[in-house]
Amino acid sequence: MREETPTVRVALFAGMAEAAGARSVDVPWNGGTVHDLRQAIAALFPVVEPLLSKSTFAIGDRYAAADEPVPVGADVAIIPPVSGG
Amino acid sequence: MSRQPPEAPTIPEAVMLTRDPIDPNALLAAVADVTAGGNVLFVGTTRSLTDGATTTCLAYEAHEPLARAVLAGLVAEARDRFALVGCGVVHRLGTVAAGEASVAVAASAPHRKAAFAAGEWLMDRIKREVPIWKCEHRLDGSRAWVHGDMSPDALSRMAEDRNHP
Repeated sequence: MREETPTVRVALFAGMAEAAGARSVDVPWNGGTVHDLRQAIAALFPVVEPLLSKSTFAIGDRYAAADEPVPVGADVAIIPPVSGG
Repeated sequence: MSRQPPEAPTIPEAVMLTRDPIDPNALLAAVADVTAGGNVLFVGTTRSLTDGATTTCLAYEAHEPLARAVLAGLVAEARDRFALVGCGVVHRLGTVAAGEASVAVAASAPHRKAAFAAGEWLMDRIKREVPIWKCEHRLDGSRAWVHGDMSPDALSRMAEDRNHP
């Protein structure tokens, strides 16, 4: 049986989902920080880069700092600038 | 019987995301307390005119678990910061017609100044930090997600503070 590359699924919202044409993207992932994940996404999906550069990340129900590790299988989301209210 | 814990009395708090019309009176009732002398209710409604373009409706979406957690943290922080006896926030999701309520904030305090200040503080923080987005649907058929710029200040607060509420 072929060994599958581990991935992390990244949820997308609002203009980020619209730019990508998807509600989530799967990123090949062997571990690393939020900063590493941001760079991996920018390389794989250049179309989201303008908004990605203004976005922050969340893991589960918390905002995540750039140096925080992202485990394989983590529940990750990109949070573009918010506009509630 | 166990004794009453020596903590502060329970404070009514409400954090809700809803696809139904917001009932401001229900929120006000949820934060009511006999020790309150000032009860401030703020209701934000969708505006029909933005930068000269007519908006027919707004569609809101949220990262719901994160939005609930961030709102709960903000309500707890407001309670401490302004010594509130009641505090709550309701935000609408989905399609909201122009003129309808999209958000409501209520704060109750022994005196009015703290309640007014808490309401304003909460709305400022909600608009900067809670993962909710609006899409403007315009009369000419076009639509656009609204994304401003995140200030470095807000970004670092979101990463540092909200992780350790």
